[in-house]
Amino acid sequence: MRVILGCLLVVWIVAPMVPVLLWSVAGQWRAPAVLPSSYSLQGFTALATPDTARAAASSLSLGLGVAVIATPLGYLGALAIRALPVTPSRFVEFVLLAPLAIPPFALVMGINVALLRLYVSPPLGVTLVLAVTALPYTAFMFRSALASYDHRFEEVARSLGASPGQAARHVRYHLLSSATARAFFLAFLVGWGDYITTLLIGGGQLRTLPLLLGSAASTTGNEQLTAALSVAIILPPLILLAGLTLPGVRKRRQ
Amino acid sequence: MTRRRAPTTRRAALLALPAVVPIVLVVGVSLTAAALQSFGLMPFIGPPQFSADAWTRDADELVRSTVTSTYVAMVSTLLSLVVGFVLAAYVLAIPRMGRIVEALSAATIPIPHVIGAGAIGLLLSDSGFLERLLGMPEAFPALVSGPWFVAVIAEYAWKESAFVALVVLGSISRSVGDLCDAAATLGASAGQRIVRVALPLSAPSLAVSAAIVFVYTLGSYEAAWLLGPTSPEPLPVRAVRLFTSIDLAARQQAMATALVSVAVSAAVIIIAILVLRRHRSLS
Repeated sequence: MRVILGCLLVVWIVAPMVPVLLWSVAGQWRAPAVLPSSYSLQGFTALATPDTARAAASSLSLGLGVAVIATPLGYLGALAIRALPVTPSRFVEFVLLAPLAIPPFALVMGINVALLRLYVSPPLGVTLVLAVTALPYTAFMFRSALASYDHRFEEVARSLGASPGQAARHVRYHLLSSATARAFFLAFLVGWGDYITTLLIGGGQLRTLPLLLGSAASTTGNEQLTAALSVAIILPPLILLAGLTLPGVRKRRQ
Repeated sequence: MTRRRAPTTRRAALLALPAVVPIVLVVGVSLTAAALQSFGLMPFIGPPQFSADAWTRDADELVRSTVTSTYVAMVSTLLSLVVGFVLAAYVLAIPRMGRIVEALSAATIPIPHVIGAGAIGLLLSDSGFLERLLGMPEAFPALVSGPWFVAVIAEYAWKESAFVALVVLGSISRSVGDLCDAAATLGASAGQRIVRVALPLSAPSLAVSAAIVFVYTLGSYEAAWLLGPTSPEPLPVRAVRLFTSIDLAARQQAMATALVSVAVSAAVIIIAILVLRRHRSLS
């Protein structure tokens, strides 16, 4: 019973990715064959174009831009929530959560006119709006980390003669490093995987990997390209995630 | 005391500014501009002229989109909660296999929805992977682009159940072990421990994730666009179609559609907050 439920759950989680992986390496795969009749890497070789490389660079810089803005701002917001008296702290908390309550497409449609009138370039506009979308995640990642953060470590460092700057650098930043990594990762994902904000504000000028995927997936007969692009979009964050979590797991084992 | 507190409060308020100002600006400008545009007061070209036309023209279509979106979001949220809770309970109850399930489930979290939608398309479409596995039955229903948004709901439930499991595990994994042990020594069976201990403990995190999942699925475009039927249109699909239309008058209607989805989201969040408050005052 336990094993059956476990297998069912694994099937539920893995099932959508199976056809993606198969299609990404399929040569010929006609219905009703359950498995591809031949295998090839043509899906991936089709990705080796300047167009895809440019899109990958755009996605990467969008992800990094959003993370670089949203991570420190989220940290400051979380510090403020902790330090402020109850009522203003509640207000800051409310504001920081507000972007979660607004559907992204609605946020973009309203702001678009203002961005156009202020001549904000599309990449900058997309980064700004996505950074606002990512702020709730980074702020609350830091908030939960600060909630379990023990200030006495810093006090000990201070009583041992460390200056406030040294205490922050050698104690606080180390203790918050995993929360920072997680917050950065979440914010990066917001930019890396975004579709609708890039589509509406970028107006076709900013072509990222998800946009290429969207146009491949919306037309039939593009299964190989869709699958290969999906793999190319999923792999970098998964490797990053493994890099972030595995050292922690190993440390805990020891 | 108060003399010492005032400067630290002011410092804390200054700390909040860099995070609060961009959000207030973007959200404030966005909602104001959307409202003005929906009433024709901020036209793309020409002089502003008040009109409620965007709200009254095709009002029944707007209502239909709202009902459709609410249906999709509600079913997706329910499924995500059920599967997400089962995932979490399994991870807590079965140590070794549970760890594999937990890792796999967490690995789906970074997958963007547009990829989830593409993947579900390859799985459930006409002569997709599932139909081939089943031997191409004659009676295979139209899951993608079908009338009941099955593929759309499947995509949301797949992605968001992993999120629900993550939230529930994060909130109860520390406290649930001792309480379950206590229940076990008092003679509770595994099923009773899940229903009587783990479920009530996770109720607040389930409520919070329900609100987040509902609002997210209500406003999400990719899956509804790639996997849904052309009619009836969910709110995001309708709004984007009108927004990108060459007919500039359609923009007003796009803004009205966007504001309706903001209003539905706000209503759901307020309901969730009220439910949580009540729950807290009861316990």
